[in-house]
Amino acid sequence: MKVEVSLFGAFRDYEPGAAVTLEVPAGARVADLRSALAAHGRAHWPGFREGLLMRSAFASQSCVLGEQEPLPASGPVVVLPPVGGG
Amino acid sequence: MSDFRCMIVDVEHERIDPAAALEFVADPAFGGFAMFVGRVREQNQGRAVVGVSYDVFEQLALAGFDDIVRRAQEQFGPRLKIHLAHARGRLGVGDVAVVVAVGTPHRDEAFRACRQVIEAVKHRSPIWKQEHYQDGSSEWSEGCSLCETQARDDQPESRHDGHAHG
Repeated sequence: MKVEVSLFGAFRDYEPGAAVTLEVPAGARVADLRSALAAHGRAHWPGFREGLLMRSAFASQSCVLGEQEPLPASGPVVVLPPVGGG
Repeated sequence: MSDFRCMIVDVEHERIDPAAALEFVADPAFGGFAMFVGRVREQNQGRAVVGVSYDVFEQLALAGFDDIVRRAQEQFGPRLKIHLAHARGRLGVGDVAVVVAVGTPHRDEAFRACRQVIEAVKHRSPIWKQEHYQDGSSEWSEGCSLCETQARDDQPESRHDGHAHG
């Protein structure tokens, strides 16, 4: 299935449109999407820092998702690099 | 009228107003007020800063703000008013990036609630800061991993302290 991934913070530097669409297996979990995004980053993003992705969380439009949670049935998934407001 | 007001302010169109924040939390029953104002500073780790851009995942940030102020009410209320505003967009040195204002009957709850709210905003809210330096370069600040925060929150005696940034 295709999953739209929205990018924020440092990930915006990799993708001017701040979004990518990735293919993951049906019934995929957050961990699967993390792996797919890491593979995409290695292949397409010069200077990609995989360590940053490993420290990033994933979220639906309304909540942060656990690593073993299934991906939301609809809507984009959002990558949240380490936060630092204020 | 609600006792809480939380907002993301797009600095292209408006600015955060600390006076309005204090006005919002005013109440004849309150004698204690505390406010935190975060401004863009001119240096970061020895480098001259000319501005900061804030990126915000607004939908989740506002949901998180609501949760943060309700937790403060549970802990320090029930008589409590809070105004919380964070900027989105590019700011210059000295511009206001964040304001937390709290009004309570007495000062102790006001100070403690204000501190708790700003720490939660900095550590948990999906907000990112990109610093722009005098030499023309820009860098995203290293912040708190929400994975690690969530894992810590799952521990019964979890606390988030021991480090400072921003």
